Amino acid sequence: MVTARKIHFIGIVQGVGFRPYVKVLADKYGIKGYVRNMGGGEVEVFIEGDDGAVNEFIHEFMNNRPRAIYIEEYSITEDVPRGFSEFKILESSNNVEAISIIPPDLAICDECLREVLDPGNPRRYRYPFNSCSYCGPRFAVIDSLPYDRHNTSWASFKPCPYCQREYDNPVISGLRRYYYQGVSCGSCGPRLRLLTSDGEVIETRDPIKYVVKLIEEGSIVAIKGVGGYHISALATNDDVVLRLREKKRRPTQPFAVMALDIYVASKLVLINDRARDVLTSPQRPIVLLPKLPDSPVSKYVSPGLDKEGVFLPYTALHYLILMDTRDKFLVMTSGNIHDQPMCTDINCALRKLGKVVDYVLDHDLRIAHRVDDSVVRFTDGELVIIRRSRGYAPMWIKLPTKLRRPVIAFGADLQMAGAVAINDKVILTQYIGDLDYVETLDDLDKELRWFSRTYRIKDPVLVCDANPAYRSTWLCHRWAEELNAEVVSVYHHHAHALSVAADWNETDQFVAVTIDGVGYGVDGMAWGGEVLVVDGASFNRYGHLMYVPMPGGDLASLYPVRMVISYMSRFMGDEDVINYLRRLNLLRGLPNGEIEARVVLRQLGSSIMTSGVGRFLDAVSVLLGLSLRRTYEGEPAITLEAAARGGSLINGFKVSISRANKSLVIDTVSLFEQAMEAMLSGAKVSDIAYTTQYLLGRAFGEVACDAVREVGNRNVYVGGGAAVNDYVIGGLREELRRCNADIKLPRRVPPGDGGIALGQAYYLSHFL
Amino acid sequence: MSESRIRLAHGSGGVETLELLERLIFSKVDDALKKVGNGVGIDYPDDAAAIPLLSGEYLIVTVDAYTVNPPFFPGGNIGVLAASGSINDVLMMGGRPIAMLDSIVVEEGFPMNDLETIINSFIETLRSESVALIGGDFKVMPKGQIDRIVITTVGIGLAKRLIIDKPRPGDKIIVSDYVGDHGAVILLYQLGGDISRELIEKSRLRSDVKPLTRLMIPLIDKYGEYIHAARDPTRGGLAMALNDWARSTGTVIVVNEEDIPIRPEVSSYAGMLGIDPLYLASEGVAVLAVDPDVAEDVVNYIRGLGFENARIIGEVRESEKYRGYVLQKTVIGGFRILEPPRGDLVPRIC
Ligand SMILES: [Fe+3]
Ligand SMILES: [Mg+2]
Ligand SMILES: [Zn+2]
Ligand SMILES: [Zn+2]
Repeated sequence: MVTARKIHFIGIVQGVGFRPYVKVLADKYGIKGYVRNMGGGEVEVFIEGDDGAVNEFIHEFMNNRPRAIYIEEYSITEDVPRGFSEFKILESSNNVEAISIIPPDLAICDECLREVLDPGNPRRYRYPFNSCSYCGPRFAVIDSLPYDRHNTSWASFKPCPYCQREYDNPVISGLRRYYYQGVSCGSCGPRLRLLTSDGEVIETRDPIKYVVKLIEEGSIVAIKGVGGYHISALATNDDVVLRLREKKRRPTQPFAVMALDIYVASKLVLINDRARDVLTSPQRPIVLLPKLPDSPVSKYVSPGLDKEGVFLPYTALHYLILMDTRDKFLVMTSGNIHDQPMCTDINCALRKLGKVVDYVLDHDLRIAHRVDDSVVRFTDGELVIIRRSRGYAPMWIKLPTKLRRPVIAFGADLQMAGAVAINDKVILTQYIGDLDYVETLDDLDKELRWFSRTYRIKDPVLVCDANPAYRSTWLCHRWAEELNAEVVSVYHHHAHALSVAADWNETDQFVAVTIDGVGYGVDGMAWGGEVLVVDGASFNRYGHLMYVPMPGGDLASLYPVRMVISYMSRFMGDEDVINYLRRLNLLRGLPNGEIEARVVLRQLGSSIMTSGVGRFLDAVSVLLGLSLRRTYEGEPAITLEAAARGGSLINGFKVSISRANKSLVIDTVSLFEQAMEAMLSGAKVSDIAYTTQYLLGRAFGEVACDAVREVGNRNVYVGGGAAVNDYVIGGLREELRRCNADIKLPRRVPPGDGGIALGQAYYLSHFL
Repeated sequence: MSESRIRLAHGSGGVETLELLERLIFSKVDDALKKVGNGVGIDYPDDAAAIPLLSGEYLIVTVDAYTVNPPFFPGGNIGVLAASGSINDVLMMGGRPIAMLDSIVVEEGFPMNDLETIINSFIETLRSESVALIGGDFKVMPKGQIDRIVITTVGIGLAKRLIIDKPRPGDKIIVSDYVGDHGAVILLYQLGGDISRELIEKSRLRSDVKPLTRLMIPLIDKYGEYIHAARDPTRGGLAMALNDWARSTGTVIVVNEEDIPIRPEVSSYAGMLGIDPLYLASEGVAVLAVDPDVAEDVVNYIRGLGFENARIIGEVRESEKYRGYVLQKTVIGGFRILEPPRGDLVPRIC
């Protein structure tokens, strides 16, 4: 009996070889009908044929399809046979039936790499842009949906007759090229071009070999990749790395290292099975892993840290470069200057990176979206995303509840991402960065506009952080004027808590521990060490770190010695503070030395107060001599964490918790005092570092356990930028075990401000 | 909802003040009663009000209450400040200051000597600028009901042509001198303690408070038609003045960080306090938006008048996206938004 079905698929169904795969499968079972891309991303399949064949088709599709095809949702409806004579791939339709995931950029697959390394493959041997239905750039090259060649950067490259035949006919080279929008080869694809930093083209037959030679001689080279430029240099040569640091004005921020393969990487860092899985995944993020003691990487690549950021090549270009080097690994840091967005075109590369690099290896596959490398790490054994970009964005995250109106979320200001949300889907933008500069703010604006257009957002509600000084808040209000839209603001830590809850589909009342640098609190103070009881749209501050002054506002974050003064002056007089600063050699952490310390002491009385974990960890880090200045986000806290490696618990430390007003207050002042005493009495730095962080986590756990007993929900959601700290999380987990509570860290978004937009959107689902 | 109260931030002169005044006052006054005839009033943010006269000239009127802690500071006192401030407001409107009225309110117990010194300075400033003192009021408040002394002055002047602040795209932004000196001195003083005295002495930093008659009268005579805006960047500093302009005209103003004249001591102390010097008050500086064709000439002319530090610091542009905002090109080469000042200092760095 002939039957027919209409199937709608939502998921990663465009740009991953979905249609050709379906076509081949249909032909195999003698099924007729069609497959077509719907605008907005979803795919519609109409099949008719013998009852049994139709069922086998569906069964095989569901169970044996290629890994790259990710189905999140589908619906199968009975239909009436229409008498098709064949199975066809139809032209794309512009009807939006439902929204679909825009495919993220995927690392080169094994087959494609094999072709590139095969001297017997005339068209793809050493072809730097080799890719197929299951791999290669996607989001980075998409101008608009549907994902068809003419809507992508590939449009500038007309396929040669060979490529065209591969595209038209699966028999030529199989499904990997059949209907692949980016089909190309060495004779018709994008081309490399080598330039000096002055923009002069260097004529060479093999730019890759030439670049390798330059790098090996010590040059610094900008290399255009998938979503932007990298800056590359030898990772083994101290002088080269130091020169790069000076030119990039980055005294200590760690540089990522790209290693040829897992074998090479295993000489640099400790890799267990889970780390290997992440390193080799199609997302191919930078993974922060413990450095090996005999790693050949220069110590200036990640000074003062116990971890190295390592990743593997994700294009043929990267692989070919690394393969030809002696070291088989190189510094591969993002091609930007000082907090500004990474360059994505040659103008920017020459204008802005020209002062940093000696040469530029360019190519002509246009970047439609800047996509930075993603960064992940393991925190107390769990994988956490620190920066969510290439490979992950812009996959959506489903909310446990539906939004009745679309939402545009403006996130927070640092290491940020925005989001659009529609129905029950939140689509976070790729990592945007810090909004200090207009250039970055423009990027946020541009990407939010693009996503709004692509997902056809109409009549949205805008949501932003409650901090009136945030640039993201500013942009949100500008949009509100332009669209005449309603604006809702959410408190920073409420959004942090809801972000984690959304990731875990939590809909009940819950306890959250939100720990970060600072966020604007309900009382106008700088929160950041909070235990909240959250009930959807409302929350109650159950506990927090003791308030201390934050002298000079943001200056106290940039020059953390100010926080040391703040803590010290809570338990000693001004002259003692100065004496101890002198004794601990900390006055050099202030640009104007002792005079400034005295100014800071005077400022304490009129400063804004903070309960931020970041500011506490900063102060301890400086106290222990681990850092003096913050030259990149979280630097003092990161060096403190690094110093705790191998440390053990010092007996006799005690963190007291008291009740003030309606909240429990964790006494970080006395914890700081104990750390200082231990320091002065000669205790090991690693032990003090370990003990303070671990006990801080325990204290949070104690407060959270109290809250859990009141609320009943045993899941404790932990968010905020400090939620990646091994020892704070370790202590927290330990303590939660005592009240049978479970710690929940976010899995699909960063715990830091890069995940805020998800929480903001989830907040609105409680109203809309 | 907690009961809403006036906070200090409401009087900062920044965003909070603006919002409050809009709600409390501006929105309630009929448009026809926001000014007199074709003059200027609270309908437009500027330095002073202008009332058209039958002669074709304008009567310029401005009022300001001066409170400063301390009343005596290096470089001046509240008397000089009260006279200069209102004189400058008249000047920046394009007027020639001719008369002043004052209202002095003093706290019981205030030293007689100090009061005399203050009033002598006040009168001396008026005499040097040939401004008549034509009326006033004097009151004493019981101890504790006012902080030492408040002087309110009304400045009166005449103008042939008004400088209504409407910078045009293309205009160059000129400042006549180093900015932020007054604000820096006051901040240092308010820090209190030994360190405060030590820093003030060591830096020899002085308030720049002074009337700008000798700058503005000749300048307006010679280049009046090319000056599209003039402001003395007092409370809220340069950031406030430029933001006012950008907002009221829908332009974008771009300034170069490295071109703005700031004394190294000022930036160093402001740096220690966590304050951008562009938000610090000047009490003897003019900011001008000038036709680009004559901007260089104007700078040279101003220098010739004895203001050697005058220079172009930026320009007015058109921009859809950033209309109404001030952008600062940093030394590193990127652009930042120079936001309007706000009273509440809110940290951003996570
Ligand atoms: Fe945060
Ligand atoms: Mg004016
Ligand atoms: Zn492939
Ligand atoms: Zn080809």
